[in-house]
Amino acid sequence: MNVLRVSKWTIAAFVLPCLLLYFCLVFVPILVSFYSGLLDWNGIGESKFVGLANFQKLLFEDAVFWPSVKRTLMFAVFSMAEIPVALFVAILLSRFVKKPNFLVSSYFLPVILSVVIIGQLWKTIYNPASMGGMLNQVLETIGLGDWTRAWLTDPNVAMYALYFVALWQYLGYHTLIQFTGIQNIPSDIYEAARIDGAEGLKADWHITLPMNIPIFKISIVLSFIGSLQAFDMIMVMTGGGPAHATDVISTHMYNMSFLSMKYGYGSAIAAFLVVLCLAATLLVNLVFNRLERKFT
Amino acid sequence: MSKGVKAVMAGALALSLAACGTNNNSATGGNDNKGAANGSKATNQEKITITFQNIYPDPTDPKHGAVKKIVEQYEAEHSNIKIELDSLNTDQQKLKLKTQAASKEVPDITVVNPSAQMKPFVEAGLFAPLNDMVEQNGLKATFQEGILDWYSFDNNLYALPDGNNIGVVYYNKELFEQGGVKVPATFEEMIEVVKTLKSKGITPIAIGEKDTWTGSFLFMNVLLRTNGGPGFLQDVQDGKKTFEDQAFVDAVDSFQDLVQAGAFQEGATSFDYNAGENLFKTGKSAMYYMGSWATGGIETSSVNGKVGVFKFPTVKGKGNPNEFMLAPGSGFAISANSKHLQETKDFLNYFMLNFPKVMFEAKGAIGIAQKVEGDFKAQGYSEMAMEILDLFKEVQGGDLSFDNTMNPGTSQAHLTSIQDLFGQKRDSKEIGKDHQTAYTSNKE
Repeated sequence: MNVLRVSKWTIAAFVLPCLLLYFCLVFVPILVSFYSGLLDWNGIGESKFVGLANFQKLLFEDAVFWPSVKRTLMFAVFSMAEIPVALFVAILLSRFVKKPNFLVSSYFLPVILSVVIIGQLWKTIYNPASMGGMLNQVLETIGLGDWTRAWLTDPNVAMYALYFVALWQYLGYHTLIQFTGIQNIPSDIYEAARIDGAEGLKADWHITLPMNIPIFKISIVLSFIGSLQAFDMIMVMTGGGPAHATDVISTHMYNMSFLSMKYGYGSAIAAFLVVLCLAATLLVNLVFNRLERKFT
Repeated sequence: MSKGVKAVMAGALALSLAACGTNNNSATGGNDNKGAANGSKATNQEKITITFQNIYPDPTDPKHGAVKKIVEQYEAEHSNIKIELDSLNTDQQKLKLKTQAASKEVPDITVVNPSAQMKPFVEAGLFAPLNDMVEQNGLKATFQEGILDWYSFDNNLYALPDGNNIGVVYYNKELFEQGGVKVPATFEEMIEVVKTLKSKGITPIAIGEKDTWTGSFLFMNVLLRTNGGPGFLQDVQDGKKTFEDQAFVDAVDSFQDLVQAGAFQEGATSFDYNAGENLFKTGKSAMYYMGSWATGGIETSSVNGKVGVFKFPTVKGKGNPNEFMLAPGSGFAISANSKHLQETKDFLNYFMLNFPKVMFEAKGAIGIAQKVEGDFKAQGYSEMAMEILDLFKEVQGGDLSFDNTMNPGTSQAHLTSIQDLFGQKRDSKEIGKDHQTAYTSNKE
């Protein structure tokens, strides 16, 4: 701090406005939400303080809750598993494509499309063949008629169909992030490596991967947190149905707060989600700090 | 002095003159207008803005036009009042109102669903009673007999309905002919019709089951039959019956028979309400079960002229086809905290008085909650609309939808449970048990 040659008070004064805003818009609502989680409240009328009863019911009696937590975590696992693929694509782009900008922008396109459009698009692709569903029609044409499914309405596959759409949408996003990371690695390192006899993918293994770890971390955190909060796409495509088969934590929370009008109970779910997000962020940071220390 | 500076000076002078001019003009103009509109009344009336939240954002909906027209008329007659329309989709409006209600900032006029769905709002004291207002100008007498009961609590009326509909089966005559089937007189025949249509490659019934209430509405009509009459849910609430009773289990059985016969389009649970209805409106399905509010939309679609309606048939020989699923429409309620309560009441009174006439002219008067005078046929209403009108005359009571009768918690459990039946066959007794558990755990 001393290098800045200003007093701590000055720093505090300049940070304060933003901090206040952040505090009011983020922390206060979270605290209010925690408090609402202790109420038996329909969101409109009188509320009754019930202590931890909501949480008790949530954790031990709710038949929908734990499966939805599992689906949320699976969502996170799948989206994190996507990052190495994105990195690989980025490496290929930077190594073998002369002017990669056009390709990177094309891959990025789904990200700027509205989720509603993406949802409608994939709903149509997933439709049964009799309703003009492209996927099933293609499967039938190439003789894989046995593989056709009611992708969004068969409880056993619906969730995987949703994961896939999310992966498809965000592949370009993470490819862009990784690609930018790779571009920032100084080229003299590669040149030095070439003199030492490391070229191509070997150089990537020893240079690109370790140098790119901080960027890799950004992608992992973004995809992890993003998938914990997954909501809009699921709402558009299945609405959590059929019969809770595609409910994740956030859709369950929405159903409880606004459709079943159990605002207090919904807040309890929200509180759980906050804790889960914090724990996940801590965990990811911990793992990556170790990795960074090891490789850099 | 240089030329440039002169030019600037001249410009500034001109500007200030112009500004003076407009000020003067607008001031006098405003006074003139007021004087003309209010005649001898006080000229210093304050400007009042009334927010009118509604669910008619769709310009093809006759109600959209009706609201606009009446509001314009009213504003022309009352120059000090401005009606601000907040038009939202049904689901968005529901969500917005709940959020507004949580912070006690309900718009002057808003929209609620009847009975159980508006109860929490009424209990929270958010709405103003309309008992006095409905008596003014004979408004009460324009409503159909008994309809206002669905919006009354403890002898206080809290909302005025825009519609009163019944559940009917629309069918595509052309597709029925192609399939060689006739209008079924019983549920068992209906299942045969479904099988025949299916074998000829025609989707028998269209449904938008992503919005779970659609399947529930149909299911409740089956229950209305297997129960041999209305009131099953009321009996459950009164403790006289449970969801494990035979009538309910029979209804689940019959409903499952229908699903298992392949009655609905593939992937029905991923179709939302509009997508489901579109299948019927584009002639891709032979039947469509819906409230009579769908009439207007079907009339403006490509199947217009080929569509007939029939009553939901008896199930296992039980029930009376003249008992319908009743759907008293959404109602207009006034915020108890409205800053201009009296003006808002006056406006809503005027609005509801003019509503039937304007709707009649817009060919949207089928299924509104008020009595309509006029010759429907001469006005150019379609044959299907006339059929629906005739059905209305035969109504001998019926049930309200599940979510208008039960509390929201139980309703959600029910809606998901019925949606589940579209994906897999379940033990009907278990469905009954699930309902009972949901009901007991949500009881207040």
